[in-house]
Amino acid sequence: MTDKEIYQIWAPYGKKWTDWVRPVPFVGIREHSGKYHFSNLTVPVPALEERETEGTAVIVDLPGVESVLEGIALARIGFRPVPVFNGTMEQPGARATVDNQAVGVGLVWGATLLSDMEIEEEAPPAFLMDCNRLNRFKMEDSLFDNSWDIYPQDIPSAEYLIKNGIDRIVIIANRLSKDLAKILYGFQKKGIRICITEGYEKPRIIKIRTPIKKD
Amino acid sequence: MRLIPIPKEEYEAYRLNLMFDCYKWDPQFLDHNTIAKYALAITEEEHARLKVLTEKLDEETRAAEVMLNGDRKLARPLALPKKLSKELQRMGNYDPEKHIRLMRYDFHPIGDGAWAVSEVNSDVPGGFAEASLMPEEAKGRLCGKHLRYINFGEIFIGAIADKVPEGGRIMLVHCTSYSDDRQVMQFLGDQLKEKGFQVIYGAADHVWFREHTAYSILDGNEGRLDAIIRFTPLEWLTEIRPKKWDGYFDTTTVSCNHPIAIYAQTKRFPLVWEELEKRGACLDTWRELLPDTLEVKDAKGKEGYIYKPACGRVGENISIKEACWEGEYEKIMRDVKRHPKKYLAQKRFYSTPLAGENGEQYHVCLGSYTVEGKHAGYYARISESQRIDSNSADIPVLIERSGGNDR
Repeated sequence: MTDKEIYQIWAPYGKKWTDWVRPVPFVGIREHSGKYHFSNLTVPVPALEERETEGTAVIVDLPGVESVLEGIALARIGFRPVPVFNGTMEQPGARATVDNQAVGVGLVWGATLLSDMEIEEEAPPAFLMDCNRLNRFKMEDSLFDNSWDIYPQDIPSAEYLIKNGIDRIVIIANRLSKDLAKILYGFQKKGIRICITEGYEKPRIIKIRTPIKKD
Repeated sequence: MRLIPIPKEEYEAYRLNLMFDCYKWDPQFLDHNTIAKYALAITEEEHARLKVLTEKLDEETRAAEVMLNGDRKLARPLALPKKLSKELQRMGNYDPEKHIRLMRYDFHPIGDGAWAVSEVNSDVPGGFAEASLMPEEAKGRLCGKHLRYINFGEIFIGAIADKVPEGGRIMLVHCTSYSDDRQVMQFLGDQLKEKGFQVIYGAADHVWFREHTAYSILDGNEGRLDAIIRFTPLEWLTEIRPKKWDGYFDTTTVSCNHPIAIYAQTKRFPLVWEELEKRGACLDTWRELLPDTLEVKDAKGKEGYIYKPACGRVGENISIKEACWEGEYEKIMRDVKRHPKKYLAQKRFYSTPLAGENGEQYHVCLGSYTVEGKHAGYYARISESQRIDSNSADIPVLIERSGGNDR
């Protein structure tokens, strides 16, 4: 499969939610992720139950490849996985703050599984991101900082979600990331319920407090 | 000037190729598709006129920069951020011949073949791939024997090759956390590599200076640099700790752009024109094309003025009421009141929209580049709103020979 074909499996043209799939990790995906070997990729049991899909969008905020695998698990119970990975590759030879390449292995591997699945037209979205994106601590000034944030423009607006029948967002993560909190605070104000689960318990509703304006 | 639809059956492949072959990595912004379903065709006559106007504007801008740099007291009305202002004195050794000057002027059609200019992107204009590869991708789908385009990339790379030694080491300085910045740099980097240059992708704080020469401190890529091509805005440099960024202001390493760009980058640039003209500067083309610009306090009680942030980019925070999102207009106006020197007032102009195939109306912002004073191509965006901002869509610019409609 070429880079484009892998992208097209994750983002079939004209399908709902797929406009938000970021091309960034797919460009040169084989070249960038070719050096990685994961011998035991398996699809986990999804963190949500099938009956929990209605009116629900999911944000999977787990480490790189895990996030992709959870996305495939969610696809099996009726979600449309939407990868929004947006981290860049480091300058060759430089140590970087984040490994943005490994996720490509999951995306290539997942494409094979996804191409055999029928995802319904009206499937709700599961946005996939890498919780390691915020690793921006630099031990030395010379390191390449390829950490990244999720910004409001990277996902649909609250209005768009509501218009499309979404009134609840479930975050699958160990904790709520700072960048997501900023976005979801606005969603919460517009009436969308925000829930979180680590994947081992039922999603619980959280109340996001006013984010601090300056980092 | 007209919009030509990309054939519907071609659009999917067009979009895909733009993402994968043309460095368009941000095809979606919030709920908006940022890849227009049209190409923008301008006539040869329009192109000829724009070329003349762009080069005249550029000549006036570069002369004004040199004048301001020669007498920095003249720059006071620009009210540049203090941290930047302090460094201006270091630019005494600025020699335009040593550096590469790149600018983009934003034109808007206002009817009857007339144009208004809203600003010059003097410091770090982007849109490189959109102005180089996107037109080719569109042209191939439009049976375009009568269509041509100017390849910005070829001209820019040529200018770099003129000033940087063969095989030289060039750092492409950008915010390494932003893929939107990287897509611009990656396009340039790949083109430079093809020409035999050594390319380093790095951040502004990966450049240190010794005796006016730039050195890379990037891990595994250390050493002297032959050129710096910067995509990190100047006003962002001031946030960097430790403070090594002051070296950008007096480096003799080939720079594009050199910080001299700050004088015209601030939207308050017109506020110094009167003084410059008293000293012999010619700013006639600017005066012809830029709407009347005033200090915020001088616009009080005057009808038809909008407020723009002095350091604004991509059309954000401009007080065009009907184009603002909920609560944005009030927020801008509060900030204008609190920090009037960070804004300017400008007479509002009304752009003439172009018609889409189903009667929709699109406003156009046509960016016209110069490299070393010569016209170097176009980058355009369209929007259903009068304000061309991040919600707009990129559109390739093609030049249409007379009789093009008859195909």
